[in-house]
Amino acid sequence: MPSGALLFQSVILGLLLGGLYALLAAGLTLYFGIMRVVMIAHSAFLILAAYLAWWTHTRLGIDPLLSMIVTVPLFFGAGVLLQRGLLSRLRAITLTMMSVLLTFAVALIIEGLLGYAFTGTQRRIQLGYGSAGLQVFGARIAVVKLIAFGLAVLALAALYLLMKKTTFGWALRATIQHRDAARLVGIDTERVAGYGFGLGLATAAIGGTALSLDTTIYPSLHWHWIGPLMAIIVVGGLGSVPGAAAAAVLLGLIQSLLQIPLGTTWAQTIFYLALFATLAFRPQGFFGGRLAQRF
Amino acid sequence: MLSVSRAVGLVVLAAAVLSFPGLAPNPYILSAGIVVLNYAVLATSWNFVGGFTGYISLGHGALAGLGGYGTALLVTKAGLPSFVALAVAALAVAALAVPIGLAALRVRGASFVIVSIALVLILLLVFQSWSSVTGGSRGLVVPRPFPDLLRPEHHRVFYYLFAGLLALALLAWWVIDRSRFGLGLKAIREDEDKAEALGTPTFTYKLIVFVVSAGFTALAGGLYALWFGDLDPVFQFSILTGSYLVLMALLGGVRNLFGPLAGALIVGTALEYFKGQFGNTPLHLVATGVLLGLVVMFMPDGVLPAITGLWQRLRKSPQSSIREVSAADLQTERQRAEVAK
Repeated sequence: MPSGALLFQSVILGLLLGGLYALLAAGLTLYFGIMRVVMIAHSAFLILAAYLAWWTHTRLGIDPLLSMIVTVPLFFGAGVLLQRGLLSRLRAITLTMMSVLLTFAVALIIEGLLGYAFTGTQRRIQLGYGSAGLQVFGARIAVVKLIAFGLAVLALAALYLLMKKTTFGWALRATIQHRDAARLVGIDTERVAGYGFGLGLATAAIGGTALSLDTTIYPSLHWHWIGPLMAIIVVGGLGSVPGAAAAAVLLGLIQSLLQIPLGTTWAQTIFYLALFATLAFRPQGFFGGRLAQRF
Repeated sequence: MLSVSRAVGLVVLAAAVLSFPGLAPNPYILSAGIVVLNYAVLATSWNFVGGFTGYISLGHGALAGLGGYGTALLVTKAGLPSFVALAVAALAVAALAVPIGLAALRVRGASFVIVSIALVLILLLVFQSWSSVTGGSRGLVVPRPFPDLLRPEHHRVFYYLFAGLLALALLAWWVIDRSRFGLGLKAIREDEDKAEALGTPTFTYKLIVFVVSAGFTALAGGLYALWFGDLDPVFQFSILTGSYLVLMALLGGVRNLFGPLAGALIVGTALEYFKGQFGNTPLHLVATGVLLGLVVMFMPDGVLPAITGLWQRLRKSPQSSIREVSAADLQTERQRAEVAK
């Protein structure tokens, strides 16, 4: 039996990790809600943002967090372009399948270009506060993990406020709920869908920067993220943001706890087990609504 | 019934495939030919699911890897004769496809794609970590089935084995295409709700064809293991293999019997050529991605239908009113009619 302090530390780390998962899964859920698109390239953009943060730090010598000033608007624009320029031009009937392939292609291109530009060498940001930590009830929590979690929570809160309190958020939610009806009441659903995609990709920029703070990155790392993230959105019920957030925190916590007896590699399998179990016994997900039934 | 032009085409194709080993100038070219044939078998096996039901799997590379590892382990650990091991491994993978299909096919496409990708990732994880059985990253050596043969002879034998497997897969696809079962599957592809409403047992049909596809894929993977003789989880459970198969099938045309074969000839040859010229670079990924994106955006029906359409226009033969039309085509036609009004 592991010691209490170790367990406590795992719980804390699991919750911190779950926060990051929740932010990234929220982006994936947004795309799915808007267009029924499973966006495979989400985690490739995540790694791209992490690389940009690393590059800002090593080349320009400034704090990696500052890279977000550029990457967040940049990714927003890329998301709008991706939706308006590529995804919305696909044929509606085969959209779900073809969009998977298209975003898969985008992921391959990003991975290949990252490998070409930065080589396959593993990179890590060396920060002045990188090794600083807090002692809480015998558990040691790295400050960078807290910063990453804080970023994720702030971004999620901003997303929540945007969706619930602004006119744009209403329009976006209306577009997600019923596209035709939204158009009838005068919402320019095409444009809103484009901005929604931009918003989703902007969360990847924030998540990637948070990730770069305490993770060793390499071009093919995105496959280690897309698997768990897709499992999370299925367990949460495709298209449900609160469901995805709940599943993210829960699975992050379980993964962290399983790392004690099983080690990091085998602990990852929990995501895939949860994915298969969910699809076998409750295919609409555990928190999902009406949308998930048919996909 | 076969028309004369089709019969001639078939004979020419078969002659071209079978005469290749005689024409190949050296064993390296012959081995490249085997790799392309292997891709052709895999892409055709993929097309049982992708072509008939429209469900796109990015995980077929993993099913081939399972077939390969299954065969290798049955030969090395259980001491079975090579080709018995191949058959047993293919059956085992087909059996394993049942629970995977049960989870993946109960809901519609999006979940299926997610499961197919997850399959690759989880198997890579397991086969890399479980090194006491699979050899892990050190790889697994498969004993040759014909130890007495010299290398060029060995290549030649396996070339014909792959050609035979390709013929078998094509035959099975053709039979399903013309059956009532195939009609049901195509109905699922065009409109699953309507197919279900008309009484097609959609779930059972999808599951059966997925199992058939997995079986053929595992056969190809196992045969590859026996030929190549060395397995590494990074290559066997690579997401890239799965995406090559999708690219080949889409490029050739998923609705055509020979579409995946045509795509495999184009993409497989290009892959082997670039590997020979430039080795493995990250730009492979970029090229695959760009090509896949272009096909999805501009040619989702593939090359073969485009060529057939052109041919028909050149001959000015009017299209018969009794023909297969996809739901997407139908919608485009209707939209055009609306605009014309």
